[in-house]
Amino acid sequence: MIGVSLDARSPSVRLAAPAARRRGALRALAALSIAALAAACGRQEPRRPDALVFRHPKLFGDPEPLDRLVGQFERAHGVAVRREALPAASDEQHLFYAINLAAETTEFDVLALDTIWAAEFAQAGWLRDLSAHVSAADERDLFAAPLASVTWRARRYALPWFVDAGLLYYRADLLAAEGLAPPRTWTDLAQAVRRVRVSQPALHGFVWQGKQYEGLVCNALEFIWSHGGDLDAGAPAAVRGLAFMRALVTDGLSPPYVTTLTEEPARVLFGRARALFLRNWPYAWSLLQRAGSEVEGRVGVCPLPHAPGHPAAAALGGWHLGVNAFSRHAAVAEKLAAFLCAAPAQKALALAYGYSAPRRSLYADPELAAAQPFLASLATLLEAARPRPVSPHYVALSQVLQSEFSAVLSGRRAPAGALGAIARARRVLEAV
Amino acid sequence: MRPGAARLEPWVLMSPALALLAAVTALPMLYVVWLSLQQRALFRAAQFTGFDHYFRLAGDGRFWNALGNTLYFALVSVAMELALGLAIALLLARAGRARALIYGAVLVPWAIPTVVSARMWEWMYQPELGVLSFLAGRPVNWLGDAALALHAAIAMDVWKSTPFVALLLLAGLQAIPRELVHAAALDGAGAWTTFRRVTLPLLAPVILVAAVFRSIDALRVFDAIYVLTGGGPANATETLSIYAYRVLFQMLDFGYGSALAVVVLAITGMAALAYARLLRGGIE
Repeated sequence: MIGVSLDARSPSVRLAAPAARRRGALRALAALSIAALAAACGRQEPRRPDALVFRHPKLFGDPEPLDRLVGQFERAHGVAVRREALPAASDEQHLFYAINLAAETTEFDVLALDTIWAAEFAQAGWLRDLSAHVSAADERDLFAAPLASVTWRARRYALPWFVDAGLLYYRADLLAAEGLAPPRTWTDLAQAVRRVRVSQPALHGFVWQGKQYEGLVCNALEFIWSHGGDLDAGAPAAVRGLAFMRALVTDGLSPPYVTTLTEEPARVLFGRARALFLRNWPYAWSLLQRAGSEVEGRVGVCPLPHAPGHPAAAALGGWHLGVNAFSRHAAVAEKLAAFLCAAPAQKALALAYGYSAPRRSLYADPELAAAQPFLASLATLLEAARPRPVSPHYVALSQVLQSEFSAVLSGRRAPAGALGAIARARRVLEAV
Repeated sequence: MRPGAARLEPWVLMSPALALLAAVTALPMLYVVWLSLQQRALFRAAQFTGFDHYFRLAGDGRFWNALGNTLYFALVSVAMELALGLAIALLLARAGRARALIYGAVLVPWAIPTVVSARMWEWMYQPELGVLSFLAGRPVNWLGDAALALHAAIAMDVWKSTPFVALLLLAGLQAIPRELVHAAALDGAGAWTTFRRVTLPLLAPVILVAAVFRSIDALRVFDAIYVLTGGGPANATETLSIYAYRVLFQMLDFGYGSALAVVVLAITGMAALAYARLLRGGIE
């Protein structure tokens, strides 16, 4: 492009110059453009050798509160911290870490981890042992599920940063009209659906996440746990849990296309007043209750129901902070992770972003309770949360769980058969 | 110049291109084959395991399921695309004044990026709010029913790729000399006979080329299905490429995942070779 415009603008030169001179000019131009290209490539931000790098998923909201926290740490320790965002999708984040850590990268020091990766990364030798930063007081303060999921072979390889747990959203107006309380058991839920449907036959009962993906694993484990079961093959309680999941569809309590639902489509259905109950994470609350939502002011939340005689259970989600085992600034990186996972920082993040802290003490904090009443109500729920299997092979195991649970949900496999296949796959994985 | 040197010269001249091809295709391909012969996964020492991964494939139900899905998808979608594409091409060949406009309109599905059209179709397949359930007159669980989901994915692929086939065949139709058709008419051949005896044989090479392109694409199908269903429900839409992606990039088992990738490569390679034979036979 540049060559053409140059020629067009200087016809006199072109007329006077013999072919050789033109070739010379072209050569010079080519050299120039290569030099410019090289300069452009070289113009990267100079990397301060002493800066700590903190990798975390993209924040939804104003980065200022987190920046302020990080600034505090920088001033206290005389060190620069640079935040870098992870790719958006969970698979890509996992792959990003795996590729870089397998190559023993020193490009980041503190890393945010999905709760299901901690054991894997610990076993691979990619995380520093942070047991020294978890005091006896911390152990008492932290909820059991996040604490279990940072633990591998009795050592702590990460610090819980914030937590998530599945909960039940219900249409408070519709239940109240029938004189019903929020359901405590699955039987209550089924009865409530049948009662409300008498006057509203087009309304869906219970929508949740049934697509073949990680979300289905959380939902199915909740069904199994709330029937008193676990992933052991043939255990009658686990079979009952999976049979209940399938029955939700065959009995018409959930629409057949629950097999296509992920978090957002399920949230949208409920938000458009098309369903009585929704299983989702805490994030849905502010979206359902915001001004202009069709169900604004008509939504309630409670722990997920359970089978009579068994405790309720919610799957744990959320993020931990770990320290790269190959970090060149390990000591100060550990301090940064500990600083961000301490109560004051977690309170600031809860106030700014509505993230649920993993510490019991914060749920008694009057300032937090006043500013985020919904958050404060989650304490009992988080108390009952359970981690997905804590295993270094979790990501591979999850592939089996997703396909087996999906097969049960679509009626292609009996619950006992699926649980048997899961147990076999688990043995193969763990034999290695 | 000696005859030997004359034979050597073309190779010397081609060597930069050959080196480039080797660097960008042959070497990575050989590396994948090499990886597939090794144990390369997290927590396991790298070691040479020969054909172990291929024996494991033979006993892996999920692999056979994915292979079946892939072949079914490719066979049905390519057959439909060729049939529909040919019909549309024949119609377009008769298009009058608005030809340019019609060409443009026909090409639209092909021009939309696959991920975007898959999202679009995901909404159209939505059981309650989607237009397809509205047309069916009742909520249909297109993507969530294990018996329907693969067909839903095929329908999207047919919608997307038929324009490509149609345009390719149209170019072929326009290259058929008019005199042959006129001569057939003079000999008293009807429209059907002309189509069977004149148009179709002359179009055969182009049809084969279209089939080659579409089959290779269909056998590697990933993005459309991954967006629509993620391989579910119950793995009913999991193709070989999706399974390979999961093993490679989620489970991080590079050895076994490479073996899966080699199988995809082998199948597309065999399909390409079969078509190439047909093509040569057709031209001779």
